[in-house]
Amino acid sequence: MGNGFFTDTTLCIGCKACEVACKQWNQLPADGYEFSGDSYDNTMALGGTTWRHVAFIEQNAPPEAPPTESRWLMMSDVCKHCTHAGCMEACPTGAIIRNEFDDVFIQPDVCNGCGYCVVSCPFGVVDLIHPADYSVGRGFVSDGRSSDDALQKDGGIAGKCTLCYDRQKVGFTPACAKACPTESIQFGNVDELKARAEKRVEKLQSAGVSAYLYGVDSDWSTGDLNAFFLLTDAPEKYNLPERPVLPSTHQAAGYMSGALAAAALALAGFAILRSNFA
Amino acid sequence: MRRLDPDNAAFGASDGAMLPPHASATYYDRPLLKKPHWGWNVVTYLFAGGIAGGSGILAAITDETGEDAPLVRSAVYIALGLAALSPAVLISHLGRPERFLHMLRIVKFKSPMSMGVWALVIFSGAATGGVADQAARDSYLPRWLSDIFPRALTRPLLGLVGAFMCGYTGVLISATAIPVWAIGKRHIPAFSVCSGMAGACAANAAVLALSGGPEKTIRKLERLELVASLSEAALLLDFKRHAGKLGVPMFAGARGLKLGLVTGLCGIALPSLLNVLPFHTRWKTVAASALTLTGAFVLRETLIEAGKASADDPRAASRQPE
Repeated sequence: MGNGFFTDTTLCIGCKACEVACKQWNQLPADGYEFSGDSYDNTMALGGTTWRHVAFIEQNAPPEAPPTESRWLMMSDVCKHCTHAGCMEACPTGAIIRNEFDDVFIQPDVCNGCGYCVVSCPFGVVDLIHPADYSVGRGFVSDGRSSDDALQKDGGIAGKCTLCYDRQKVGFTPACAKACPTESIQFGNVDELKARAEKRVEKLQSAGVSAYLYGVDSDWSTGDLNAFFLLTDAPEKYNLPERPVLPSTHQAAGYMSGALAAAALALAGFAILRSNFA
Repeated sequence: MRRLDPDNAAFGASDGAMLPPHASATYYDRPLLKKPHWGWNVVTYLFAGGIAGGSGILAAITDETGEDAPLVRSAVYIALGLAALSPAVLISHLGRPERFLHMLRIVKFKSPMSMGVWALVIFSGAATGGVADQAARDSYLPRWLSDIFPRALTRPLLGLVGAFMCGYTGVLISATAIPVWAIGKRHIPAFSVCSGMAGACAANAAVLALSGGPEKTIRKLERLELVASLSEAALLLDFKRHAGKLGVPMFAGARGLKLGLVTGLCGIALPSLLNVLPFHTRWKTVAASALTLTGAFVLRETLIEAGKASADDPRAASRQPE
């Protein structure tokens, strides 16, 4: 097993140091200064140039309930580096590879910007980015730069977390894990991380917290996640799919029904064209 | 920033404020998935590729020695014309033309897009051969070209790869995480084939009608178009039933109305009616063909646009179709 992340959401304090460290190390542009109004989250989602995203889920108890029932969930989201990655399977150029650390990596010089990985990620992680945002010397992202028109005019490429491939190559910890002040983000060998995470879940459960691991020992078609999470509420509250499905599992049925339709129509056509009606 | 459009929500807007605490179902109704970045050029490719593929099938199943011989001619010319248009629109969607070549560095069976690119390459070759042979037979080009591109080779290729071209776009679309597409894994490839075949019949009938082709061949094409169109309609209705709430972005609201009026009424019902009317004129054939082709284009446009709306619906995306 290779390297990955264990993100323990019970330790997250929502400081967004991971977001900032990721942007700085990977020289990614800012997300603009939009105010969302949704808690402290103005990042809102992972994107082509946003590879860590801290979610804020405010759960306020009703006035009559004891205030201890209120809680605030925070989670630093990231590319899951799936065992069976939808983006990697879909890529028609071979730009998306699994590297020597067992992580899913997009080679920017091979990607042709077709956008098929974007719709093939069951977690909504990958997105297309404008060339001005990945060439050296980029500035703040401006509205419309990554619009479909601009992407088509200048040619975009797909962008997502590299799990700091460059840092791993020289033995460094990825920027987000390095910057995390509470060790909510832990980096390391996935097997070791899983063993550690299971102990943490046991400890939390014995303290009465309904903790569980998302992306470990799953029967999902995506397989286990190399970047997995410890959660305390339903996946959809964190904007994660309840049960991610690997898109390529739909192919067999699709090819079969397409072949059946084509065979039926070719036979009908043969019969009609060779018939001798007036 | 993107937010859920309640009109396109499979389960209605969740409106966190109205729900008791701890029960807010989604993350501020923010999309879970990313939208497809595909626009008019990809829609044009889906349309052109389907009709090119259907024309390939027609070229393969027609009796070249009989009275339908002009159909082989129109079919190979249409196949080549649309196969030539396809890389052009695909390249325009990539922004940088040379990047099309990145797809030719590997063959990947797991990726429908890689399979499709290679199908397009083989199909274009076969269509070029078919046209060279036809033009040689018609004395526009030297006779020896017919020996280099024998029909015994080009026609089976056009038929088999054409069938693939018709259907793989449906597999490409449904083998994704987009809910309204994924739920259609059995329907989308099948109705893509039917729509491509109906479009190919329409295009060839129109060309034959305008160029003074044989009446009897046009009648046969109209009959085959009827079979393909009615199969398409049945599959679309069954898709609507099967998709249920996940089909809302495609079949409800303004998009559903457009699909019903343009594809259902003008693209399938009207030309089918015209094709069974007891009288025949060249202009009736051309009108029916134009309606069928418009319906086929709008079907693909609606499918892509519905995918964009479906990606915005976090509750549809959370329970992904198996």
